[in-house]
Amino acid sequence: MDRELIVAVGDLTCRYPGAPRDALVGVSLDVRSGEFHALLGPNGSGKTTLLRAALGLVRPARGRAEILGRPASVWSRRDLARVVGVVPQREENLFPQRVHETVLLGRYPHLSLFGGVRAADRAAVERALVACDAVDLADRWLWTLSGGEYQRVRLARALAQEPRLLVLDEPTASLDLRHEMELFELVRALVDRHGLAALMITHHVNLAARFVDQVLILAEGHAVARGAPVDVLTRETAAAVFQWPVVISAFDGRPQMIPLRKKENHP
Amino acid sequence: MQRTHLAGFVALTITACARGEHVPVRGGIAVTDDAGRRVTLAAPARRIVSLLPSFTEILFAIGAGDRLVGRTTWCDYPPEALAVPSVGDGMPPSVEAVAARRPDLVVLYRAGPNVTAAAQLERLGIRTVLLDLNLLEQLGPAARRLGVLTGHSRAADSLVHVLDNLASQPAAPSTRSLAFIVWDNPPIVIGAGSYLDRLAALAGARNVFHDVGAPSAQVSIETIAARDPDFVALLSDSAVPPRYAMRPEWRVVRAVRDARFLFLPGQLFGRPGPRAAEAIRELRRRLEAAR
Amino acid sequence: MRYVLLAAAVLTTLAAALLLGPANVPFGDLLASPIVWQLRLPRAVLAFLVGGALGVSGVGLQALVRNPLADPFLLGLSGGAGLGAVVAIAFHLPGPWALPLAAFVGAVGAMALVYRLGLMSGAELDPRILLLGGVAVGAFAAAITTALVSLAEATELRNAFLWLWGGFSGASWTTVLVILVYAPLPLVVLFAAARPLDLLALGDEPAQYLGADVRRLKRVVYLSASLLTAAAVAVAGVIGFVGLIVPHVCRLLWGRLHRTLFPTAFLAGGVLLAAADTLARTVVAPRELPVGIVTALLGVPLFAFLLRRWTVS
Repeated sequence: MDRELIVAVGDLTCRYPGAPRDALVGVSLDVRSGEFHALLGPNGSGKTTLLRAALGLVRPARGRAEILGRPASVWSRRDLARVVGVVPQREENLFPQRVHETVLLGRYPHLSLFGGVRAADRAAVERALVACDAVDLADRWLWTLSGGEYQRVRLARALAQEPRLLVLDEPTASLDLRHEMELFELVRALVDRHGLAALMITHHVNLAARFVDQVLILAEGHAVARGAPVDVLTRETAAAVFQWPVVISAFDGRPQMIPLRKKENHP
Repeated sequence: MQRTHLAGFVALTITACARGEHVPVRGGIAVTDDAGRRVTLAAPARRIVSLLPSFTEILFAIGAGDRLVGRTTWCDYPPEALAVPSVGDGMPPSVEAVAARRPDLVVLYRAGPNVTAAAQLERLGIRTVLLDLNLLEQLGPAARRLGVLTGHSRAADSLVHVLDNLASQPAAPSTRSLAFIVWDNPPIVIGAGSYLDRLAALAGARNVFHDVGAPSAQVSIETIAARDPDFVALLSDSAVPPRYAMRPEWRVVRAVRDARFLFLPGQLFGRPGPRAAEAIRELRRRLEAAR
Repeated sequence: MRYVLLAAAVLTTLAAALLLGPANVPFGDLLASPIVWQLRLPRAVLAFLVGGALGVSGVGLQALVRNPLADPFLLGLSGGAGLGAVVAIAFHLPGPWALPLAAFVGAVGAMALVYRLGLMSGAELDPRILLLGGVAVGAFAAAITTALVSLAEATELRNAFLWLWGGFSGASWTTVLVILVYAPLPLVVLFAAARPLDLLALGDEPAQYLGADVRRLKRVVYLSASLLTAAAVAVAGVIGFVGLIVPHVCRLLWGRLHRTLFPTAFLAGGVLLAAADTLARTVVAPRELPVGIVTALLGVPLFAFLLRRWTVS
């Protein structure tokens, strides 16, 4: 099956205004429907910058970023929001709101300027809640939710946009084991069952290796390695990128990275 | 015994100087001003700076006009006053300009910045007197004290007599009503406890806002219309109707609609002065003429 | 049900404004009385429109600076308007429209200056820059105003300050017409921005991911809200607290989504200011209090109450 190319980033170089060096240097990435990608790398390696550039928020100095074949800079934000659903790393929450109100925000790219909310919109919200196993949370206030529930709700909001591509920026950062596993399982299921493409920025290398199809490792703005986890996650690469000695062990056919302790503390 | 007297005298001098007063000299002049200060002069003032048009008028009225060596730019009556050098607009007074005239007496209206200026002048060794002059009743006492300070008590006395009589007169029976409108947006009227209100009462005109205690107050156009004064009085040197007279919302007031305005020249009506009786006569005359 | 309450409040307030006043207008003569037609009606309508404009402007600016404690006058507009008014009086600018026009120009100038300050620091319409810039511009305008005041004549300036504190005593059908012609465009523009403003509450980046063109949105909201406020000042002086309190009351009572919030804020703002004006002209009759003082006296306890609720929740 020829999978459709959703995001195509080619040889992208970016620098923030006033910064001493490039945030990204010659990075390429292709994400097709039905594929689950992970973006890995230490802090400051350019992961969020790649995300912003791919989605047209940051103008690249060199290279190209295309969504569905058209340059990201050409897309209107509204149209882009109907193709890509993002769960950002941080967002603000000034006013108390209920879950169903939050998820409804994901329908805004589909609503006309002065038009109302239609039955189709409510149906999409319902479907998104079902897919994220959050239907019973619909009437709850956001501030009463646990970390895991909150992330599921934000994911439902992104799903309500009915996107082709889901992007998640460090979604499991403060979640406990159970919620973290649940989130990864959920994204995997969405990719497999609904044909979505997914791109996740995460620090959890081992879980990423277990669940995703493709990995891109960044270090200091450069793409260090790209490909299937088993090909990319080697001892030399991991140690160089994360700057810590590791060993790689296999589990379930996937490489798992195990960091070593310092010799002087460990007899 | 003489030593005790001398010691006492020295002690008195030292304490007197500490309080910033001159040593009282036998045969000198003393008045108490409205700041409660005892103002003393060795001899009647010969070089006077007046920092209020009303004081300038009073000084000329009691025959002390030739003693004036300084006035404010606003002092324009009588015409002879214009020959006296100006020391600025007096708001606040320029201490340097006043001092440059080398006065032996400075007459100030008692209000904030003037009190400070008076203190500064005293530090330079110049005598100052602070007088209140907001009300009709204060004209007489002001004239009397200026008479004492200039040695023109007898000339002052007749003026004082006229002014005191005027101040103690009861209101004339009112045949007409009026409202003094001094500003239009927002509308500001003159109330009781002000000079103009008193003049009106003595001229036989009832101020429809006499029940408002403050000298000036903000009211609505509707209130003015409801009280329906016969005339709208305003301080103006010309007979040009005020700019608000053409506006439909102001024309709800009958006096504005019928253009029954009393244009009162600022020089005569704008400030309490020795020509108060003349002002009252003039107002009465205009009221009669507009009948 | 609660919308019925709002409609009832609107009708009651307008009725009170028409019926109450120092002139005794018999009920039967109401429709024919020039007092009602030339004085009370335009005044009530103007107070309502200005209150509505301030309420809507408050909603927009609170969303823009992402701070629910923001008032349209925080952004230096009142300082600019005050400076304009004092300039008009101190320099005796001619014509009956000199004062409102000067206040308007001053307010718009302040708005442009704050915007420019934001651009200079490289952060276009960043909420913190807006607030700080507003304080700075306001202080600057106040300094120049004080300098002018110290040089000009006392009585005229006292009257300028009375005007500045807000009032509808100069209300006429002409001023009502000016507002009716001028206000609809910014109001419509703000209402059209209602949904993107819901998104803006999440933050600039999340809002963009959800389809809002944040740069354009902020510019449009800033411009519209400031123009509405400037017009309100030009016609009625600086009336604080309406733009601060009304959005909160409306959020609590009728919902915080902007498609609901804008209309309810317009109506509630109108009710508040029309009621405040009626109080201002009846409470110390025959004298009048400047309306800005009444809204402050009403607004501060109400605000303290709301603040307590907000921090507790």
